Amino acid sequence: MTVRVVLVRPWTDAHGGTGCCGGDARDGICFEGRVDGPREHDAEVNLVAEAYLRLRREMPEIDVQIVGADNTAYLLPSVFRAVRGRRGTLAALREVNRATTGGSVLVDGERVGDVTELGTDGVVREVRRRAALPTG
Amino acid sequence: MPAIAVAVVVGVLFFLGYRYYSAYLAEKVYALDAAFVTPAHQFNDGIDFVPTNKHVVFGHHFTSVAGAAPIVGPAIAVFWGWGPALAWIVLGTIFAAGVHDFGSLAVSLRHRAKNIGTIAHDVISKRARTLFLLIIFFLLTLVNAVFAVVIGNLFVANPGAVIPIVVEIPIAIFIGQYIYKTRSAALVPSLVGVVLLYALIWVGQQYPVDLAPLASAIGIENPRNLWVILLFAYTFVASRLPVWMLLQPRDYINSHQLFIALGVIGLGMLVGWNEIVAPVVNDVPEGSPSIFPFLFITIACGAISGFHSLVSSGTTAKQIDKETDARYVGYMGAVGEGSLATGAVLAATAGVVATRGEWDALYPDFATASGGAVGNFVNGVGVFANNLGVPLDLAVIFAAVVVISFAATTMDTGVRLQRYIVQEIAELAGWHKLARNLSLAGLVAVAVPLAMALIPGGGDAGYTFGVLWRLFGTTNQLTAGLALTVVAVWVLRMKRNPLPAVIPLVFLLAMTTWALFSQFWDFTQGESWSERWVLAPLDAVIFILAVWLIVEAVGALRRGSRREYDESGSPLGDDRDVTTR
Repeated sequence: MTVRVVLVRPWTDAHGGTGCCGGDARDGICFEGRVDGPREHDAEVNLVAEAYLRLRREMPEIDVQIVGADNTAYLLPSVFRAVRGRRGTLAALREVNRATTGGSVLVDGERVGDVTELGTDGVVREVRRRAALPTG
Repeated sequence: MPAIAVAVVVGVLFFLGYRYYSAYLAEKVYALDAAFVTPAHQFNDGIDFVPTNKHVVFGHHFTSVAGAAPIVGPAIAVFWGWGPALAWIVLGTIFAAGVHDFGSLAVSLRHRAKNIGTIAHDVISKRARTLFLLIIFFLLTLVNAVFAVVIGNLFVANPGAVIPIVVEIPIAIFIGQYIYKTRSAALVPSLVGVVLLYALIWVGQQYPVDLAPLASAIGIENPRNLWVILLFAYTFVASRLPVWMLLQPRDYINSHQLFIALGVIGLGMLVGWNEIVAPVVNDVPEGSPSIFPFLFITIACGAISGFHSLVSSGTTAKQIDKETDARYVGYMGAVGEGSLATGAVLAATAGVVATRGEWDALYPDFATASGGAVGNFVNGVGVFANNLGVPLDLAVIFAAVVVISFAATTMDTGVRLQRYIVQEIAELAGWHKLARNLSLAGLVAVAVPLAMALIPGGGDAGYTFGVLWRLFGTTNQLTAGLALTVVAVWVLRMKRNPLPAVIPLVFLLAMTTWALFSQFWDFTQGESWSERWVLAPLDAVIFILAVWLIVEAVGALRRGSRREYDESGSPLGDDRDVTTR
């Protein structure tokens, strides 16, 4: 069975915006864009990106996704479904909440750590361990 | 007829549209290819360009495009009867919005996920870039003005909604800071935010806030105008805050509210089995705006929204994993918006009142109908919530809080986006000081719609709904026209059938220019100076933009794309101008 890994975007990598004529409040929505204010959160965004690219490169057989913490329409049902079968409804609900933590690393719905705390190497190691793949 | 039966029929039609028409578009018109290397793979950087599961992309895309605007237009348009309003929502969603949203995404995928404005410059002409900026500038100006008045009116009509909405701001900031500082999960704090918000509805009901005495003390005749001024002052400040600090936690709370409201509308309709009491086709009084062309620009985003092309091409295209996923994400985004619009029609025709006579009293003429439209929707949703056991007075405040929350977030984002547009225009015009000064650009972004919202005249309802909403509708349809032109030119260049894009394009441009011309005539004959010296010139400027767009569209369709393409439909040439953050 394919191992599903989700890296949750950092809370500060927010796009925001709701609705027709207000969706997606990001710079450069029409053209090239310009830097909009301080970008102190870039380091964490880059860390997630780096972990993502390494997982794709080193473990092409697993399914890796980057998902916004605000994408509840996807995160909530997918995590609930993935965990409930193995650990029951209560545990699934707990994981659903934990999954909305920015910077989370989820393996088959379960939160196994935080990108900032684990670092890129730690993320790859943890995913390998969880996926029980031989280390290379 | 029971509202729930109509909702089911519309749902079936949307399903058929997706099942068959979008399949035709995918195969024969856009010729999607599962083996095509999408920009997400080509430029995969793990930040913006990320190949992503289609359900993840849809979650992001739908919450970016679904909001308050598709509620306003349909709630006004039932003035002509629920039949024509619903017919345009269904046909427009299936044959225009689906083609537009899906097409913008497909074109962007074949243009290295560039934004639609940049592609218009590439495909149509260099002038198309300026045209695009100007249309978006007017669109955002009008939408911000309209929403400020929507909120002002709702605050005046539902003073119990003031406390929950105002206190939601510090709650959202607190939640944002809490999540950021403690690196905790967002779900529970945001759910607590929703519970607090609804608890505050009770507090608001006990302590309604009426600004009328303050407004009259400082010489403002209409308390709504004081709310409008306060709202723009707030958005000026809010648009300078980082998105994660206020907008994102508020959005998080709103996303829960979106699902709660959709559930309340659907379940309430089912439990209450409310009958549609409005006429299928309304015999409107003499002198009312005619169904052709005004129904189409009034419904606006409820049937097709040009703004979706910005989201489709700006962000969504960078995340599409397989080109074939564009069908689900793009077309279903349009269907989602059409479903919200259908809910608005049913709330304003079945929920709000129980008899035909009561409904006629709410929609006696266009000015009253348009001025009260959002209130009618709010009361309609309130009745649906009441069917589920919520006391009616609390249920109405609940519905008002939902609508105001959405409108306020749209304003927050709209002012922020307008600032970007002001900066883009300033850069283009060589006004570098304005382009680089965020405060100055923000001030322009706030001052222009504020002036629009405060235009004197137009009776109790003001000009906002009767006039500014229709002008907003025209700019929204022109944006869609520009995107459809890009789609049609690209499809034509690939020697495929361009008619699915050309037919809605021609229809939209015909309705828009007809409406603008007709309104211009009325404004010039108007009694107040606002009509003759503000609204008529504004209408004329948008009319000129519409004619400009028609000239560009005809030229581009006749001569073909400026870009050269390979056989698969991808542009030849370098990719140095690929949009990145």
